[in-house]
Amino acid sequence: MKFNRRDFLKMGGGAGAALALGGGFWKWSQFPAAEKPNAPGVDKWVPTVCGQCTGGCGILVRIINGWAVNIAGNPLHPVNRGTLCPKGIAGLQGLYDPDRIRSPLKRVGKRGEGRFQPITWEEALTLVAEPLKDLREKGEAHHLVVMGGRYRGLMRSLWDRFLNAFGSPNYIDNQFQWEGPPVEGLFLTQGIRDFPALDFENARYILSFGSGLLESPWSPVQMLRGYGHFRRGRPGIRGRLVQIESRLSFTAIKADEWVPVQPGTEGILALGLAHMIIKEGLYNKEFVSEHCFGFENWTDPGGREHPGFKEFVLADYEPGVVSRRTGVPIDLLLRLAREFSSSQPSLAIGYRDRPFHQMAVAALNGLMGNIDTSGGVLIPRSIPYQSLPPFREDAIAQRGNSQKRIDEGKGMSVSYPYLMARNTLSGKPYKPKVLFLYYTNPLFSNPDPGLFSNAFLEIPLIVSFSPYMDDSTQFSDLILPDHTPLERWQDDPVFLNNGFPVLGIRQPVLHPLYRTKATGDFLLALAGSLGGEIQKAFPWNDFKEVMSYSLKGVFEARRGDTFGLQFDEAWTRLLQRGGWSVPSYNNFEEFWKFLLEKGGWWDPVYDFGERDRIFRTPSRKFEFYSQGWKKVQSPSSGELKETSFLPRWEEPKKEGDEKAYPFHLHIFKTMALTGGRNANQPWLQAIAGQHLFEKWGTWVEINPETAKRMSISDGDWVWVESPRGKIRVKARRYKGTMPDVVNIPFGQGHNSGGRWSKGLGENPYRLLGDDLDPMTGYPVHGATRVKIYKT
Amino acid sequence: MHKWGMVIDLDKCSGCQACMAACHAENNIAIIGPEESAKGRTIHWIELLPFIEGEYPHIKARLLPRPCMHCEHPPCIKVCPVGATYANEEGLVGIVYSRCIGCRYCTTACPYTVRSFNWYEPQWPKEMKGSLNRDVSVREKGVVEKCSFCHHRLLKARERAKAEKRELLSEDYIPACVQACPSNAMYFGDLNDPFSTVSILSRERRAFKLLEDLGTEPKVIYLSEGM
Repeated sequence: MKFNRRDFLKMGGGAGAALALGGGFWKWSQFPAAEKPNAPGVDKWVPTVCGQCTGGCGILVRIINGWAVNIAGNPLHPVNRGTLCPKGIAGLQGLYDPDRIRSPLKRVGKRGEGRFQPITWEEALTLVAEPLKDLREKGEAHHLVVMGGRYRGLMRSLWDRFLNAFGSPNYIDNQFQWEGPPVEGLFLTQGIRDFPALDFENARYILSFGSGLLESPWSPVQMLRGYGHFRRGRPGIRGRLVQIESRLSFTAIKADEWVPVQPGTEGILALGLAHMIIKEGLYNKEFVSEHCFGFENWTDPGGREHPGFKEFVLADYEPGVVSRRTGVPIDLLLRLAREFSSSQPSLAIGYRDRPFHQMAVAALNGLMGNIDTSGGVLIPRSIPYQSLPPFREDAIAQRGNSQKRIDEGKGMSVSYPYLMARNTLSGKPYKPKVLFLYYTNPLFSNPDPGLFSNAFLEIPLIVSFSPYMDDSTQFSDLILPDHTPLERWQDDPVFLNNGFPVLGIRQPVLHPLYRTKATGDFLLALAGSLGGEIQKAFPWNDFKEVMSYSLKGVFEARRGDTFGLQFDEAWTRLLQRGGWSVPSYNNFEEFWKFLLEKGGWWDPVYDFGERDRIFRTPSRKFEFYSQGWKKVQSPSSGELKETSFLPRWEEPKKEGDEKAYPFHLHIFKTMALTGGRNANQPWLQAIAGQHLFEKWGTWVEINPETAKRMSISDGDWVWVESPRGKIRVKARRYKGTMPDVVNIPFGQGHNSGGRWSKGLGENPYRLLGDDLDPMTGYPVHGATRVKIYKT
Repeated sequence: MHKWGMVIDLDKCSGCQACMAACHAENNIAIIGPEESAKGRTIHWIELLPFIEGEYPHIKARLLPRPCMHCEHPPCIKVCPVGATYANEEGLVGIVYSRCIGCRYCTTACPYTVRSFNWYEPQWPKEMKGSLNRDVSVREKGVVEKCSFCHHRLLKARERAKAEKRELLSEDYIPACVQACPSNAMYFGDLNDPFSTVSILSRERRAFKLLEDLGTEPKVIYLSEGM
């Protein structure tokens, strides 16, 4: 079947005519059906970057007659080297989701009711530009808030630039906070507000403190490739993995040893191990004395004595104390401490627990000196983009930019979405008037989503750029659907576990299926229609031009090369070490051509020993006593003592009293539906809970003995109730559950969306409260108790 | 003559199920929705099977990806009344869908339970139909299906080798699951070649086959976890 651009335009016309949609806007369809679904044709494989999660894998999409028919890994892309995870393959179903939003939509019914009417892009532009002009005229430019989720690269620079030129300080970063590596721990010890690279394929021993290493890492394929190498990639060396977690997760199943502890007590276990390692003198004394600060007691320039980590841990975290609190026998603690310190290089990996618990885990790596070493914690260099040209802020913009942020953010995090929601409700310092939602769905993927829906009611105009209907988009007034990742241009800066920077290039593999528009292009058009200095700040016609402008920096960096085989990698590295750079390209056109053919650029060198890059703390050392935190803390951070700057453990304050709510609630993620973005893909729904053969729904895992005592049979429907709310889910007896803990997977329970996501399962985040950690401004992890009873 | 076989290293396998998704995409496996799934009618040509034994906290757990074993002595063939399922000279066990009468004797006879039955005509929304794999036929209602070791890829590789006027190399042919496996836990190749990776691994100390005592002689070999 021939399918050209003209056909798409015709389709677009059809969409404009299909009015009065009432609820099921997806029921109308103008997509030409495949006349012969299996017609033969000539295939080609187009390289691009997967957009199913934050992993940044290179893929090849097989195109036949304008249809994408399969996805395989790009063998040249260093992140995944030709392999993929289940999500990557299901990208095809993300593209062809029959319930995608097919044109810009304007709300016609009540908010949240889900009645929309298709409009043209010209109308859409006016509907956004007019209120924005109005804001500026009234001197309320700072009332524009952009809430962005997880994506990388130049789109973020573009949003920042737009807000600066417009006059609003309010970019609210709502990357989901419990995902990803423990960045707060890294900030406290090394002063870095970014992801570290964990070189775990070169480690010999991994102590994982509740991290979802094998099911929900930030870059799954890279981690899994690393896992294969860690286990059997090195002749004679088999890495050993110990998983400390309340639930028998896939990581725990694959680990050599599973140490069950109650959720939230991983931190005290780390401190117990630190105690043993210090007491037995097993730590790396050279590293600790040369590159660490705050290990021994110290005196500040003012003559004040401060306690060191050593004295504090030896006094407060005796094995008896730790064992009593975690239920881990003392001899096991001792064995773990000895194994961790004797099998070098070893690596402790945590999750985004409370900051000082993360710091306790990071301290173990500090004690063993596994920072900036092979098999340790590495800090990747950034991509040498050419920065966007300077521009002038007009008077309105300057006034707007000098206003207080809506979340009044200061402290450890960069943004505070929860404070933004609360401030929106209270109107202090002000209420936002226009909200843009880009790649984020707070009404689904933030704990206590009710807080956000209440706050959103206060905002007169909400614009969503999501290509799919989701809970937050359904709540919007205007929907300006982005292309899906396989249809758009985008850069994807990422790095490897061994610290090499990688720049993947996402290019459209086919014409956009519907009347969607890349948000970058829309933003440029919007800047154009706002005129004046804003227009001048954006001299590009489309996002691709922004990319090629910025990539000149990469071309001129005289480092690295476009992707190649492993041989090319070794060759590039050899030359670069000798001070040579002989890339495969001679001019920018050639560079661009190779980028598109091979999938991207990388720099296969990690420079060890650049201490300014590795330690950005005030002492320029690894800090056991966080001076960096001392600098940024604010009065809202709670009362501070001397020990407030040392890794320590605090009993999590639980929501719900122990008698009425006897179970700890542990919410976990699965490989298939990690962040809930992929629930619209049947291939992933069909493998969501393979350890119990669960699919297409939400279940609660209960210890079989506990379930027997409560007369709950396998497969019964039960209510899980917290002080905040209750959900009805299927009970499953699972042996890998602690007797006083119940586990519920995240990812289902969408109130809105297409046929394969809406109304299936339940969202456990509705059970959580909004008790915020004063340091990060995010809800405290694992602080909810629940009760269970049959329906 | 080649004898195609697969080795799955459980020590490298992370249980991610990329093999399952890759298989679905490659082989046009029907989408089975929530209602039919609840009746146990899902179709997976390769499936990750959990084995969780013992009682909390003393648990031995194992995850095992299970494709068709392509047995040397396949029990499924013996019971097929119409000769719809067969083994070819290279040891691949296949199904002729148009001959299958849907009696499901084979699904019962297979000790590895790898065979699935199409209870319904597979349905795809029209927006998706064009994205089906052109190299694999779409099944109809009432036939049994199972893993073919992506036999269509072998046919394609053979055609290509012929066009390039050379012998087929065992590297030319690899099933979708093996290609996708992110931890490189799966290997595929010619078991008749004593120097191929699969041959060498199949003789390793860790190697075992499922239900070996039945005498089916599976051509899928597992490598156990641990040293």
